[in-house]
Amino acid sequence: MKNTTRRVARILIGLAVSFCLCICCIAADLLRRNPVSTRIDIWSWNVAAKCLDAATPAFEQKYPHIDAKVVQSGTRLQSRLMLSLISGVGAPDVTQLQCAEAPYYVASGRLMDLTSVAEPYEKQFSPAFWANCVHEGRVYAIPWDMGPCAIFYKRDIFKKYSADIDEIETWEDYIALGERIYELSGGRTKLFPVSVGGMGSYFEMLIQQARGGIFDKQGRIDIDSPATRKVLRVLRRMMQSSARADVGVFSHEFFASLPKENIATYPIAVWFGSSIKDYAKQTSGNWGVFRLPAIEPGGLRVSNWGGSVLAIPDQGKNKEESWKFIEFALCTRETQLVNYRDHDLFPALMTTFDDPFFDEPDPFFGGQKVRRFFASGIEDITVLNRTKDWNEAMRYVSQALSLWATSHWDDEKFIRDIERELHSKLKRDIAPESNQGEGL
Amino acid sequence: MKKQSDSFWGTVRKHRHFYLFVSPFFILFAIFGVYPLVFSLFLSFVKWDGLTGMTYVGVDNFVTLFADRTFYVSLWNTVVIGILYVPIMFVLAFFFALLLNSRAVPFRGFFRAAVFIPCITPMVVVAIVFGLFYGTESGLFNFIYQTAASLLPWGPVPPIPWLSDSRWVKISIAILLVWRWTGYNMILMLAGLQGIPVEYYEAAKIDGVTRFQEAIHITLPLLRPMLVFCAITSLIGTVYMFDEVFVLTNGGPGTSSMNFGLYLFNKSFVDFRFGHASAAAYIVAVVVFMMTLVILRWRKSEMAIQ
Amino acid sequence: MPIQDTQSKQITGSRLARRGGISMRVRLEKILRGGILILAAVVFLGPFYWLLISSFKTREEIFQIPPNMFPFPPTFDNFRDVFHHTMILRAFLNSCVIAFGHVALTLFFCSLAGFAFAKYPRAPGNKFLFACVLGTMMIPGAVTTIPVFIVLTKLKMVNTFWALIIPGSASAFGIFWMRQSMMSQVPNELLEAARIDGCSEFGIYARVVLPISKPVLAALGILTLIRSWNNLMMAFIVLRTESMYTMPLMIYMLLGELRTPYGMMMAGGVLITAPLIVAFLLFQRQFIQGMTAGALKG
Repeated sequence: MKNTTRRVARILIGLAVSFCLCICCIAADLLRRNPVSTRIDIWSWNVAAKCLDAATPAFEQKYPHIDAKVVQSGTRLQSRLMLSLISGVGAPDVTQLQCAEAPYYVASGRLMDLTSVAEPYEKQFSPAFWANCVHEGRVYAIPWDMGPCAIFYKRDIFKKYSADIDEIETWEDYIALGERIYELSGGRTKLFPVSVGGMGSYFEMLIQQARGGIFDKQGRIDIDSPATRKVLRVLRRMMQSSARADVGVFSHEFFASLPKENIATYPIAVWFGSSIKDYAKQTSGNWGVFRLPAIEPGGLRVSNWGGSVLAIPDQGKNKEESWKFIEFALCTRETQLVNYRDHDLFPALMTTFDDPFFDEPDPFFGGQKVRRFFASGIEDITVLNRTKDWNEAMRYVSQALSLWATSHWDDEKFIRDIERELHSKLKRDIAPESNQGEGL
Repeated sequence: MKKQSDSFWGTVRKHRHFYLFVSPFFILFAIFGVYPLVFSLFLSFVKWDGLTGMTYVGVDNFVTLFADRTFYVSLWNTVVIGILYVPIMFVLAFFFALLLNSRAVPFRGFFRAAVFIPCITPMVVVAIVFGLFYGTESGLFNFIYQTAASLLPWGPVPPIPWLSDSRWVKISIAILLVWRWTGYNMILMLAGLQGIPVEYYEAAKIDGVTRFQEAIHITLPLLRPMLVFCAITSLIGTVYMFDEVFVLTNGGPGTSSMNFGLYLFNKSFVDFRFGHASAAAYIVAVVVFMMTLVILRWRKSEMAIQ
Repeated sequence: MPIQDTQSKQITGSRLARRGGISMRVRLEKILRGGILILAAVVFLGPFYWLLISSFKTREEIFQIPPNMFPFPPTFDNFRDVFHHTMILRAFLNSCVIAFGHVALTLFFCSLAGFAFAKYPRAPGNKFLFACVLGTMMIPGAVTTIPVFIVLTKLKMVNTFWALIIPGSASAFGIFWMRQSMMSQVPNELLEAARIDGCSEFGIYARVVLPISKPVLAALGILTLIRSWNNLMMAFIVLRTESMYTMPLMIYMLLGELRTPYGMMMAGGVLITAPLIVAFLLFQRQFIQGMTAGALKG
C-alpha cells in the first residue's frame, strides 16, 4: 500500500513538473515573439505556395517590419479553414481560395471587407474575376490567377499524322481528326482524356463557349436552355467517340500520359503548363497550343477553367500587414509577371498584358508566343453567373452527367432531372424565361 | 401548502450533500450532453454550414440521406468490417484471458501487458506503421508472405494488394483492429474471470470434466455479463470507429473502406452539412440503441433461465 | 475372484498409464502454452520493435526489404529533425496538460458523484437521477460532435485546453463504475465512525472513501488517460493553431507534407507511445485489480 502511495505521488509530481514546464514554455513563446516585426501567416497550396514563397524576400525587403511566412496548407485545408472561420480562431492572416468557391466564402461575412483599399485596382483586373470577389457591392477578395483554356497538343504526333491545327474549327472537326488518328495509329494514340466521372469540368468549360450557364443573373436556375443542349450534344459525341481515352483528369494515368504517345491533346487551362513542365521535362519544344474548337462554326473559341483568389479572414489581428502582402503579391505588376513566368499562374491583373514579356516566344512550346496567345483571348470569355452554392451545384451536375452517360443518354431527361434536383436541394427558383429561348 | 414546501426544502437541505456532490456531473451534462442532443435534433431539420444562416428544410435532410448511396455503402462496410473482426477478436481475447488467468504461467504480467499495449498506442502511430507494413511493393507483410510462399511447392505468388483492393482493404483493417483491440477485451474478460467463485471449478474437477468442457460449460456462462459488456463496447466501437480509417485509408480506395464514423465526419467537417450529418447521426444512433437493447435483453433472458 | 483380480489389475494399469500420460500431457501443454505466448508477444509487440528501430534508421533503411532488424550504427537524425522542424516539445506538454487535466477532472467528478449515489440512498431522487446517468451512457459521442463544437465556440473555448479537458469529464460510465465499487468496497460503518469523529461530508469523501477506492481510480484513470491521450478527432476539430496541437494531431499533420517525412514520424511515434507504456507498466497491478473491483461483473 505504502509503495503504491509513493508511486502515485511520484507520478503526480512528474505531471506537476511537466505542467510547470508547459507554462514556462508558453511564457518563453510569448517572450520570443519579436515585438518589432509583425508576423503574418499565409496558407496556400502546391505550385502557388512555391510561388508566394519565392515572392516573400522581395516583400520583406520592401516592408522590413513584416515577417511573411507562407505555409504549405497541409492536409485538409478546406476543413481547417472552415472550422477556424466558424469558431473565430486559428485562421491564417491570408488564405488562398479556389475561384469557384470564392463566392461561397465571400458571402459568408467572415472575410475582411477590402472595398476601400481595393477600389483603385478594380479597373486593372479582369471584370469577370473581380465579380467573383464581390458580394452586395463589397469586395472581399482579390483575384490572383485566371484559367484561360486552350488545347495543349504534342507537335510530333500532329506531324506524324499530318494533322493541321488550322483545319480544326469546331468540336466536330476536332473529334473527327481524333478518330482519324485513332485509325492511323491502330488504336494506340487517342486524342483527348475524358472519364465518366470527369465530365463536370468539361461541362463547365463548354457551357461558357455556348454562352449558357446554370443560373441567371438573379441566381435562378437557368439550365433548361438551348446552350445546355448544344453542350450535351458535344459531350455525347466526345464520350461515344473512339478518339476518347478513358482517363480521368488529374488521375495517376493522366500525368503518366504526358511524356507518352497514348494521348495527343489536352483541352485544359493555362496553369496546366507547370504540370507539363514538371512531369514531362524531356519533351520540351514538342508542345503547342491552339484555340478551343467552337461548338458551331463561327462560335466562341475561348473559355475559363479554375483560377484562385487571396482573401483575409476577418478574425486576423494584422489586417493592415495582410493587405500589404496581397497588394504586393497580386496588385503589383512585377510580382504577377514573375508568378506567370516561373509558375504558369496567369495574372488576373490585366494591365500586365502590355509587357514585352508577353511577346517572348516560349521555347518549351516550340517557340510559340503562348503568353500573348492566352492574353489575347481573355476579353472574349463569357462570364458565368456563379452563385455561392456554385460548387455544390456543379457536384450535382457532375453526378447527373455520369448518370446520363451510363444509363440513358436522354438530354431532355437529364435537363428535367437536374433542374428538379437543383430546385429541391438548393432551394432556388427556376427562371421563368427558360425553355422559351431561341432555337429549340 | 406552506408547510409542505417547507418540508420539501427541509428534505433537500438534509440531503444537500448528495445534491452538491452530483451537481457537477449534471451541470456539465446539461451543457455538453442534453443541450447538444436537443440541438442536434433541431439541426437535422435545417440546412446549415455553421457560417451562413440556417434555413428550415423539414424532413429534407432525411430524404437526401436515404437517397445517398454513400450512406448505404458506409453502413455496409461497417457491417462487413465488424463481422470480419469481432468474432476473431472475441475468441482470441477469451483464449488469452483463460491462458493468462492461471497463476502457473511464468511472466504472467509481462504477457498481459504485451497483449494489452496495442490498445493504448495512439492510432496515428499504429496506422503509420501498419500503412508501411501493408505496402504492396515494399511492405513487410508482402515480403514475409512472398518469401514464405516461394519456399512452398507452388512457388512464387503475386503480392497482396492490402490497401489498394476494395476487398483486401477491409481485411487489412480487420487485422489491424484484431491486433489493436484483443488486449482490451482480454483485460475486461480477465476481470470477469476473477469474479467467478473458485468453488465452481473445484466441483468440476471432482466431476472430472476436461479443460475444454470447463471453459465452455462453466466459464463462458458465468462470464456472460462481461461478454455482454464487451459486445456492446465492440458494437459502438465498430459503428463509430474513426481514427483507424481516417489515418490508414481515409475510406479509400474509392469508398470501399468508408465506415459510418468516417461518413459522419466527412459530412460534418469536410462538406459542412451539419443538418445532413445530424440526421445521419440520429438515425444510426437510434439503430445502435435498439441493438444495444437487444443484446441486453439477451443477457436478461438467459439470466432468467439460469 | 480371478475376475475381480483382473479387473483391479486393469484399473491399476489404466491408472498408471493415465498418470504417465498426464505428466507427459502437462509437459507438452506447458511447452505449447509457452510457445503460443511467445508467439503472441512477438505479434503484439513486433510493430513496436519495428517502430523503435525505424526511428533510428535513415529514410532509405526504413523502406529496405528485407528489413534490417538491428540498425547499427543508429542515426539520431530523425529525433533531431523532429525537435527542429516541429513543435514536438510543445505538443508533448500540451498533451500532458490535457491528459492530466482530463483525468484529474474525470476522477474527481466520477468519484464524487459515485460516492453520493452509493452512500446517500435515502436522498430523494437518488434512484431517478442515477437512472438518468445510466440513460446518458447510451448517447454516443458521435451524435453530439457538431453541437459540442458549437457550444465550445460560444463559450470561447475553441483552441484552448479546456475544449479537450471539460467535455466528457463527467462520464456516466465512470460514475456507474464508481458507485458499484463503492457500494461493495466502502463499509458504511467506516463512514459512520468518521461522522462521529466530526468529519465533514466532503472530508469523509476525501479522507476515507478516496484512499479505499484507489484501485478503481487507477483503472478508471488509465482508461481515461488512454482515451484522452489518443483523441484525434476532437483535437483536429477544436485545436486550431499549431502551438496548441497535441502529439497525435501533430504527427497526423506531418502526413500532409508533400513528401511524407517517415523518419520523423517514427521518432515522434516513439516519443508519443513511450509515456503511455510507462504509465501502464507502473500502474498495471492496480489497473487489473481495479478492473475486477469495479462492478463490471454486473
